[in-house]
Amino acid sequence: MNNQEEKNSIVDKILNKIKNEKVKMKPKIYFILRTVLLVGGSLVLIFLIISLVSFIVFSLRTSGALFLPKFGSPGIKIFFMSLPWLLILIAIILTVLLEIFSKKFTFVYRQPIFYSLLIIIIITFIGSFLINKTSLHPNLFWKAQERHLPGIEMVYRDFGVPRIKDVYYGIISGITDNGFNIETPRGEVFNIIINSETRLALEVNIEEGDAVVILGKQSNSNIQAFDIHKVKKDFNLFRPQQIHDHRPLLK
Amino acid sequence: MKQKNIQQSDEEIVALIQAGDIDFFETLIHRYEKKMKRYARKFTSDDEEIKDIIQGIFIKSYVNIQSFDPKRKFSSWLYRIAHNELVNALKKKKRNILPLFELDTFLPHSLQDNSLSQNIDRQDIRKMIDKCLDQLKLKYREPIILYYLEDLSYKEIAEIMRIPISTVGIRIKRAKEIMKSIFKKLRYTL
Repeated sequence: MNNQEEKNSIVDKILNKIKNEKVKMKPKIYFILRTVLLVGGSLVLIFLIISLVSFIVFSLRTSGALFLPKFGSPGIKIFFMSLPWLLILIAIILTVLLEIFSKKFTFVYRQPIFYSLLIIIIITFIGSFLINKTSLHPNLFWKAQERHLPGIEMVYRDFGVPRIKDVYYGIISGITDNGFNIETPRGEVFNIIINSETRLALEVNIEEGDAVVILGKQSNSNIQAFDIHKVKKDFNLFRPQQIHDHRPLLK
Repeated sequence: MKQKNIQQSDEEIVALIQAGDIDFFETLIHRYEKKMKRYARKFTSDDEEIKDIIQGIFIKSYVNIQSFDPKRKFSSWLYRIAHNELVNALKKKKRNILPLFELDTFLPHSLQDNSLSQNIDRQDIRKMIDKCLDQLKLKYREPIILYYLEDLSYKEIAEIMRIPISTVGIRIKRAKEIMKSIFKKLRYTL
């Protein structure tokens, strides 16, 4: 077969397939729908990532883990051990999926992955920061506690307010002879015992209504405090009644 | 099918095909068949495989032609399909597979200017490509072919390979360095 014949044979084969409708042109609507799905899928992924990261931050706030670095190297160690690694892994997987999805867009693949990842991270942090400024997660957590949240109830109950061994976070609900009482975001009440083993900066003036993080050993509802740090009060984590009346809502 | 309106641009022809005049597709095949064959030949020497790849390229382009935006360049779009067909063909034979992730697409690089290549002119690079193309990894081979043999721009190559424009420059630069070292090693002369 000479070159011209060979050329014709390829062209004829292709044209015959088209003529005999062995191959059919996909309609424009197919590509429009595909683009809509791609954009929609990317938006859903962004939404999931922001929700998940804001939820991780919420769980770190409610458990008091976010304040642990204040306790120095022991606190930092507990902080890393208490991170919700499963949720972090899911967030990373979703981010990689979003990166793969967004690679279909010209404005994304023309730039180094570093930039698109940076943009995803910035959007996620801004989004989760804004969500954590609202009462969304605390409200959902309370609804989950009251079993009014089908579907994601388990997530909030299991991960929402994790317990970290020897770490207690709450609002001081009363001063006692040997310490004070706190109410945690779960609504539990603990009696904090301060003695010679407790590290508490002398200049720290603890008053009713203050938010504190305590490192200590629990025995029933008593906690022998080793270290106490006063922290910024996080109003969103507690119900208004807890802050004003110090009445636990859930037992 | 008959070849019509040779004067029109590729993009104008595609717009006509999209509007339903599929006879124009033959014109596109005639315009690009030789280029596609030359491109495929740089990745495989198997004539039968090349025929299959060429058929695959044109059939895929016909099937997906409604996804082409006539405001963009048709040749880049067709080369993108060719790139996918070639990668798939090489994958089937487990030869020189492009990994899912390459580190050089991750970090930003300054754009390499290969237009004024030091000491080597375009003609010499073409000779080098002919002699040591087989020894280049696919990730270096493809941009250097598209740039020096198919005369495409960085932007077009980036569109075809779906990599950042700056990575195209880096890969072409690296490909030239590798070719130079091969030449030195094998004592080739230009």
